[in-house]
Amino acid sequence: MSGSKPDILWSPHQPDRFVICDSELGLYRIGPVGSAETKAGTLPLSEESAATLLAINSDTPYMKCVAWYPKHEPECLLAVGQANGRVVLTSLGQSHNSSCKDLVGKEFVPKHARQCNTLAWNPVDSNLLAAGLDKHRADFSVLIWDISSKYSPEASVAAEKIRLSSVDLDSSTVVTKPLYELGQNDACLSLCWLLRDPKLLLAGMHRNLAIFDLRNTSQKTFVNTKAIQGVTVDPHFHDRVASFFEGQVAIWDLRKFEKPVLTLTEQPKPLTKVAWCPTRTGLLATLTRDSNIIRLYDMQHTPTPIGDETEPTIIERSVHPCESQIGSFAWHPSSQNRMVVVSAANRAMTDFTVFERISLAWSTTTSLMWACGRHLYDCVEEGAEGVESMIEKDIATKMRQRAQSRYGHDTIQVWRNHVLAGGNDPQLKSLWHDLFYMKQCAEDMELKLQGNKQSVVYSGIKNIVKTSSGTTESRRCWSGSDRQTDVPRYHSEERCLALRLCGWISRGPEIDMEAFLRSLEQEREWERAAAVALFNLDIRRAIQILNKGATAEKGDLNLNVVAMALSGYTDEKSSLWREMCSSLRLQLKNPYLCVMFAFLTSEPGAYDGVLYESSVAVRDRVAFACMFLNDAQLPRYIDKLTNDMKEAGNLEGMLLTGLTKDGVDLMESYVNRTGDVQTASFCMLKGSPGEVLKDPRVQCWIENYRNLLDAWRFWHKRAEFDIHRGKLDPTSKPLAQVFVSCNFCGKSISYSCSAMPHQGRGFSQYGVSGSPTKSKVTSCPGCRKPLPRCALCLMNMGTPVSNCPGTGKSDEKVDLTRENKLAQFNNWFTWCHNCRHGGHAGHMLSWFRDHTECPVSACTCKCMQLDTTGNLVPSDSS
Amino acid sequence: MDLHILDHRLRVTSIAKNGLVHFTHPLIKLIFLRNRTRCKFFSLTETPENYTVVLDEEGFKELPPSEHLQVESSIWLPLNVVSNGNASSSSQAVGVTKIAKSVIAPLAQQHVSVFMLSTYQTDFILVRENDLSVVVSSLEEEFNIYKEVGGESVPLNCQDVSNGLQKNGKEAIQPTVHPVLIPKNQFCVMSLDPDTLPSIATILIDVLFYSSSPKEETHSSSSQDCIEFFSFSLIDGYVSLVMDTEAQRRFPADLLFTSSSGELWRMVRIGGHPLGFDECGIVAQISQPLADSDISAYYISTFSFDHALVPEEDIGSVTDMLQHQRTEPATS
Repeated sequence: MSGSKPDILWSPHQPDRFVICDSELGLYRIGPVGSAETKAGTLPLSEESAATLLAINSDTPYMKCVAWYPKHEPECLLAVGQANGRVVLTSLGQSHNSSCKDLVGKEFVPKHARQCNTLAWNPVDSNLLAAGLDKHRADFSVLIWDISSKYSPEASVAAEKIRLSSVDLDSSTVVTKPLYELGQNDACLSLCWLLRDPKLLLAGMHRNLAIFDLRNTSQKTFVNTKAIQGVTVDPHFHDRVASFFEGQVAIWDLRKFEKPVLTLTEQPKPLTKVAWCPTRTGLLATLTRDSNIIRLYDMQHTPTPIGDETEPTIIERSVHPCESQIGSFAWHPSSQNRMVVVSAANRAMTDFTVFERISLAWSTTTSLMWACGRHLYDCVEEGAEGVESMIEKDIATKMRQRAQSRYGHDTIQVWRNHVLAGGNDPQLKSLWHDLFYMKQCAEDMELKLQGNKQSVVYSGIKNIVKTSSGTTESRRCWSGSDRQTDVPRYHSEERCLALRLCGWISRGPEIDMEAFLRSLEQEREWERAAAVALFNLDIRRAIQILNKGATAEKGDLNLNVVAMALSGYTDEKSSLWREMCSSLRLQLKNPYLCVMFAFLTSEPGAYDGVLYESSVAVRDRVAFACMFLNDAQLPRYIDKLTNDMKEAGNLEGMLLTGLTKDGVDLMESYVNRTGDVQTASFCMLKGSPGEVLKDPRVQCWIENYRNLLDAWRFWHKRAEFDIHRGKLDPTSKPLAQVFVSCNFCGKSISYSCSAMPHQGRGFSQYGVSGSPTKSKVTSCPGCRKPLPRCALCLMNMGTPVSNCPGTGKSDEKVDLTRENKLAQFNNWFTWCHNCRHGGHAGHMLSWFRDHTECPVSACTCKCMQLDTTGNLVPSDSS
Repeated sequence: MDLHILDHRLRVTSIAKNGLVHFTHPLIKLIFLRNRTRCKFFSLTETPENYTVVLDEEGFKELPPSEHLQVESSIWLPLNVVSNGNASSSSQAVGVTKIAKSVIAPLAQQHVSVFMLSTYQTDFILVRENDLSVVVSSLEEEFNIYKEVGGESVPLNCQDVSNGLQKNGKEAIQPTVHPVLIPKNQFCVMSLDPDTLPSIATILIDVLFYSSSPKEETHSSSSQDCIEFFSFSLIDGYVSLVMDTEAQRRFPADLLFTSSSGELWRMVRIGGHPLGFDECGIVAQISQPLADSDISAYYISTFSFDHALVPEEDIGSVTDMLQHQRTEPATS
């Protein structure tokens, strides 16, 4: 203060009033900018708020510090500490209010004049006002005045003696006898009353922090430190105190007062103010000299340090409330994270709210949650049902839905998996058809050929055509006409296999496409069917298909026009038909119609118009290439296409790469693009070759998918997946890790059980007699001592659960139904790892449905609550 | 009681009156521009003979060497006595009187020369750095001795300084009784908010540097009876002023502050000719009898003479006492 440096105080009880003090005191009211009629004197503080000057008080010159009376009444009573050590009570904007009339103007004068550095009202006993003064010889530097005290007779005597004072003192308002005198022979720079006990006063003295106890003023607790300025108690944590020295803030814990619990990073410039946020725990704001930023230290997540050396983490950040240099700031007492900042130079004020850091978390089920201040926002993906949203659903949502629809688990009709996936993803459709054809071919070969061919099927067309040998060339007639074509077609065993993998032809030595064409017609893919028929050199069939398409329900009549155009085909090199078709075909919207004319107008062996038409399915282009490209062109084309597919991560390319390392590369770029580890996992599991499954990328996808299922609490799905995986990759099966051993001989019961031939292996590894009907293993197979008893039914373990539904005599003969499986689980051993009591799983489960404590009497173990996962419920139902 | 050896290394210098012109720049810098220098201890006392400047080594660097500047060759260390709050003595007296018996007398016995500097806030006892071991060994029985290092008070173990009592090596000289002068002016000891220094800058400059201007000359009709004395010190951010009531009237009354009793002081100047720095026991000579009669006193040593300030109402008894001492020298 002292004329240059302003300070701000918020009214402790009126949330819209504050006082700015520099050379005088100014009382302001803050309000929304629009509400009140914008008077001439209104100062804008921010976009929303403005301040109105209510009153000015310039009665007290040479102010060093100001403190606002903490109680409701009298409302606007301020104590002002002056440069000569006097403390004056004054008021602002009060009409002659009787309640504080006798207080206003009262002065408290120390014996020896020296600067008053700080003032602090006792928050409980609000008559007490502590003043911290500079050092004067052996005098006291902390004086606690009782504002209600009447003037003392000595005071008038003292006043008489004052010859140097220019102020005419009305002796009735001057108090010279403090209630308490503390801190002899010392200087006091800062003060605050401790909130944990209103009789305790913390003072920043010259080179030490001291706690004075008013009940015993001869004693003080003190710690030597340089950080003695601006002591302030955390309003949310009454044992935490901040103080500073030059550029460094020290945080103290009064319970461990020997040294600071932490010191904040030192600032190059000296600090001028340090204040705890009253509306948020553990937030400390600091201001340094000549600065336009306020530094905030968030000790929100600070546990009290355990060891001496561990320094808890603090989040430090700065806010920049205004452009000019900040003179002072003050937190609003009740508005969240709000402060008013006053500039050093021109008293310009800024109303500022510190924006809370946002913390954000994704749930496992694609919803997003973030917290800001005291608000919590939940963001859920839209368009889960109802209108098909424009935005594609998140892959996590898709995977979750697909997991629920048992995607990937159809191992017979493999192609059906794309239907389980929703049936609207062309790449998945292509992928699962590829896998289906591969499986078909592989099974087929297994029947008639030696085993090694199987791996060929899965190695992809790229590898198949490389091994192609003995290609024959034929020139066939257009079927239905005698005209010889000059289009050469190539045949070989490998090309034939490739066509099968493409799905164009089915099993058998003949290249018969009729079945394929019929299936396409069934799916109303007229254009594609026509193109396939044409590539099969059956122009008549193509026209027939187009006609059918035009006449079919909701058919496109234009197909007739196309059929007409097609029927005019001539192989004359320079005919008008050829010329028009090659130019007009580009205007056809359907890629298959387009490639049909491209094929007809191309020179033999130069089919770029067909091969590089990217809208045509890869399998059709590859099949076409296998029929019409020679041994030199074909591998080149396939290689190029493979690389394109790999780069794009297009699953259609899986046809070319197969389940090889190339395929993993392709899948990698697909996963990188989509994040779909689910498809990647299921697809790669089909690749029986060990080296593909051993690839660390594949293992990573599989593990991630399993984790994902766990995170969704799809435990049954994960179990299913593990079973599925175990079938396809036997090396992934985990070994038994838990055995039940006999209390007496220490041998594993399960080991003995599994030795019995009639025991079901799956259950025996958990140490349970697998089939309750046949045998009762109630004693250790090793030493014949009885097994422990179930705490509930008091039967020896190994005795089947009797009174559970689904295990009645009638059911026992029935095959393993689902109930029966559950019933078997009811027989399992379970026990608490804490109290070691237990029994039949079924009994235990039903007991803990209604109880929290262990069923064994006199055991108070809360077994079920100790099981952290025991209270979780799977979110998949099966 | 605690004795603090403060973290200042001081030089005692004197500027001749006619050479002041060469030093006005550094002096103004040291007084008014606190943020421009690293000087933490500065005291300027004007006496009729010269200006005594006591300042730390940082401040000393500011003073240009000159024929008008006399420098005492030693480094001086300031000592400060801190009485613990609960050990309140029965005595109401302030100043050197409080420490006369506990500090001044023992040091005089050990023949340690001291340079006293009383301020509004406290009393500094300056001793030569060379004498520190003697000081520590002779005072460690009475005091807890702390050395301030970089702002922290470190308890001083006597072994660190000396390995036993070590005589100063000086001859025990029976102290001479110095003549005293008791001028008529009334003095006051005051302080000031350092932030308000700029607002009294012109008055302060006028009082400090132009005291011997002609205007002043005509005014002092009774100049034989009054002494020209003004002391300003700025130590660790605290301002202390000692001036006579004449000078005090020139300052705005509400800026300077003093004890609420507002007492006035009379001066006793010790020494007929410049005292030098080697003689010891001078302070003790004065403070001892004052302590015996429980009279408060401030004490300001300068380059040439020593000055004691005693309460106005006690000046009669002090005069009698000193008169008595003259006739019956050196009994204590």
